[in-house]
Amino acid sequence: MKGRLDTDLQKMMVRLADGDRSALHPTFEMLWPLLRRFTARHLPHAEAEDATQESLVKIFRQAGRFDPARSAAAWALGIAGFEIRTARRRILRRREDYEAEKSLAAFPDSAKNPEEILLDRDLEETLLEVLGELRPQDVETLRLYARGERPTIAAATFRKRVERALGRLRSAWSSTHELP
Amino acid sequence: MSFPETGLEARAWRAYEKGRLVRALAQSLSLAPLLAVALAGCSPTYVVISSAALLLAAVTVLRWRGEDWGRGVVPGITAGLLPLLFPVFARCGGHLCGAGACLFFPAACAVGGLAGGALLGALAPLPRAGHTLPFVIACTVAAMTGAVGCLFYGLIGPVVMAAGLAVGAVPLMAVRKA
Repeated sequence: MKGRLDTDLQKMMVRLADGDRSALHPTFEMLWPLLRRFTARHLPHAEAEDATQESLVKIFRQAGRFDPARSAAAWALGIAGFEIRTARRRILRRREDYEAEKSLAAFPDSAKNPEEILLDRDLEETLLEVLGELRPQDVETLRLYARGERPTIAAATFRKRVERALGRLRSAWSSTHELP
Repeated sequence: MSFPETGLEARAWRAYEKGRLVRALAQSLSLAPLLAVALAGCSPTYVVISSAALLLAAVTVLRWRGEDWGRGVVPGITAGLLPLLFPVFARCGGHLCGAGACLFFPAACAVGGLAGGALLGALAPLPRAGHTLPFVIACTVAAMTGAVGCLFYGLIGPVVMAAGLAVGAVPLMAVRKA
C-alpha cells in the first residue's frame, strides 16, 4: 500500500513539475493525509494543522522545480519536517516568554528596575514610621485623601482637615530626618 | 479524517502557479545579457530592445505553461542564438553598417540561419502525429531569437534567416526520423 502510494505520488509530482495542471488535485489528495499523519506525530493538534497547511503550500510552490530523480514522498516529508522544526521553535519561544512574564509579575511595578523598587520600599517604610507619630484622626484623614474618598462631612471641612494633617505630616517628617 | 476546506486547495493552486511564473521569469531574464549582445550589431537599439522584450515575454509564458508548450523553448533559443550573433561578429570584423544595397549583413543572417537550422534539426523535439507543438514552438522561438540580431534593412534579415533555418534543419531532421 505504501509502495503504491509512493509510486503514484512520484508520477503525480513529475507531471506537476512538467506543468500538467490535472495532476494538482490528485497530488493534493495524496499529500494531505500523509503530511497530516506526519505532523500529528510530532506536534500538538493546532500546530500540526498549521504545519500541514504551510507544508502543502510550500510543496506546491516548489513543485515546478521538483527533480524527477528524487523521491517525491521523501522530498515532501523533508519540507514538512522543516515546518515541524519551525513550529517547535515557536512553541519553545512562547514557553520562554510565559516563564519570563511570570517571574516579572513578582515585582509590583515591572517598569522599574530593582534599585528603584528598593528605594520605593525604603520610602514607604519611612512614611509608615512618620505616620505612626501622627494622631489617629490625621492618619484616617490622610488615608481617605490618598484613596480619593471623602467622609460624610462638608467638602470645605474635609479640605481643612487634609491641609492640617499634611502640615503635621511635614513637621513630623522634618523632625524625624532632622531637616531644617 | 476529513479533507480540508477548498480554501486550502485554492491556496495550493495559487502557490503552484506563482512558483511556476516566478521560475519562468527568472529563467527568461537570465537570457537578457545574451540578447543584449545584439546591440553591438547593426539593428537600431529600439528594434533590438523591443524584439528582445517580445521574445522574453513569449519565453516566460511558454515556460510557465509547461508541457509541450515549454519543451521547444531551449532548443529554439539555442538554435536562434547563431543567427543573432553572426551579424554582430561580422560588424566586429570591421564591416560597416550600410543601408539599402549592402547585402553583407543579410548574408551573415542567412549563414547564421543555416548553422542555427542545423542545431535545430539536431535538438528540436521531432514532430509526431498529433504531437507537433514542441517542434513548432522550437522553430518559432528560434526565428524570434535570430530576429533580435537580424532586424535591419526592414524584414530582409529575418526572411533570409528563416530560410537558412529551414534549409539547415530539414536534412538533420530527416536523418533523425529515419
